[in-house]
Amino acid sequence: MPISAEHVGRRYPATDPYVVSQAKVVEFARALRDGNEVYRGKRPVAPPTFAIVVAGQAWDQMFHDPELGLALERVVHADQGFSWQRPLRVGDEVTATLTIEKVRTRGSADFIGSLVEVSTTDGEPVCEVRATFVHSHPAPEEDVR
Amino acid sequence: MNPLLTLRVGDVGVGTALPTTTVHLTRADLIRYAGASGDLNPIHWSDRFAAAIQMPGVVAHGMLTMALAVKTVTDWVGDPGVLVSCTTRFTRPVVVDELDGADITFTPTVTAVEGTRWTISVEAVCDGVKVLGGTRIEVDCG
Repeated sequence: MPISAEHVGRRYPATDPYVVSQAKVVEFARALRDGNEVYRGKRPVAPPTFAIVVAGQAWDQMFHDPELGLALERVVHADQGFSWQRPLRVGDEVTATLTIEKVRTRGSADFIGSLVEVSTTDGEPVCEVRATFVHSHPAPEEDVR
Repeated sequence: MNPLLTLRVGDVGVGTALPTTTVHLTRADLIRYAGASGDLNPIHWSDRFAAAIQMPGVVAHGMLTMALAVKTVTDWVGDPGVLVSCTTRFTRPVVVDELDGADITFTPTVTAVEGTRWTISVEAVCDGVKVLGGTRIEVDCG
C-alpha cells in the first residue's frame, strides 16, 4: 500500500543510543570548514546542524518502511527546520524518534512532513528536526514496463 | 554577559547586514560532508546516477548548503549556543562540477529584532540562482 494520509501519526521506535564524540564533532565541523573553537574547547558543543547525524538514522527508518513503499531515488528533500532547546554536547547520549506529521498527495507526488525529536537517553529534549520530503510517483511508461 | 559573543547587542537592528561570504565547493567537499553526515545518496557523488534521475549533475547536499548558511550567523555571533531555530526551503539544486566546483554566495541580513531575540534572513545564490528560499535563523543573545 503506498503512503497516504492514513500514515499520519505513525511513530517509529527511538533509534539506538548515539554518543556524541569529540572526533565526530571535529569531523563534522571540518566538513563545514568551521574553525570555531567551541567545537574543540574544554566543554565542546556540536555545530547546530549536527543533529542530522542522529536524525538521519530516524529518516532511514521511514525511507525503508516497506508499508510506505517509498523509492529513495524519487525522494527529494524540500524543506528543513531545526529548533534547538540547547546545543548538543560532546558526551551526550541521544536517540531520535520520528513521527509522520503530514502526508498530502498532489498530482503525481506525495508531500511527507516528518518530525524527529532528538533527546538524551535521560529524556531531556535537545532538538526538533522537521523536514518535508517530496516523493514523486513513477512516470506511467515505467508502470507499463 | 555571554563571553563567547563577538558583537555588541546594542549595535544590532533591523537591516543590519552580516558579512557576505562566498564558499567554493568541490566534489571533495561533498564527499567529506557525505562521510561526516552519513548521507551517502549517490546524487552527491555519481554523475551517472544523477543523469539517470534527470538531474543536471552531481548536486551538493541541501543540508550542507543550509549548514553553511547557519555558519554565516554563528561566525558573526561567535556562540552557536544562541541559536533558537532555523528553517529553509531547498529551491534549486547546487550543481557541483567535477573540475570547476560551485560557488555559493551567502548574504545574511537582520530582518526582525525583539529585545535580544533577532531573526536573520540569509540569501544563498549559486550561478545567479537562489538555491535556498525563506531561510530564517532565530537567535537569542540574552
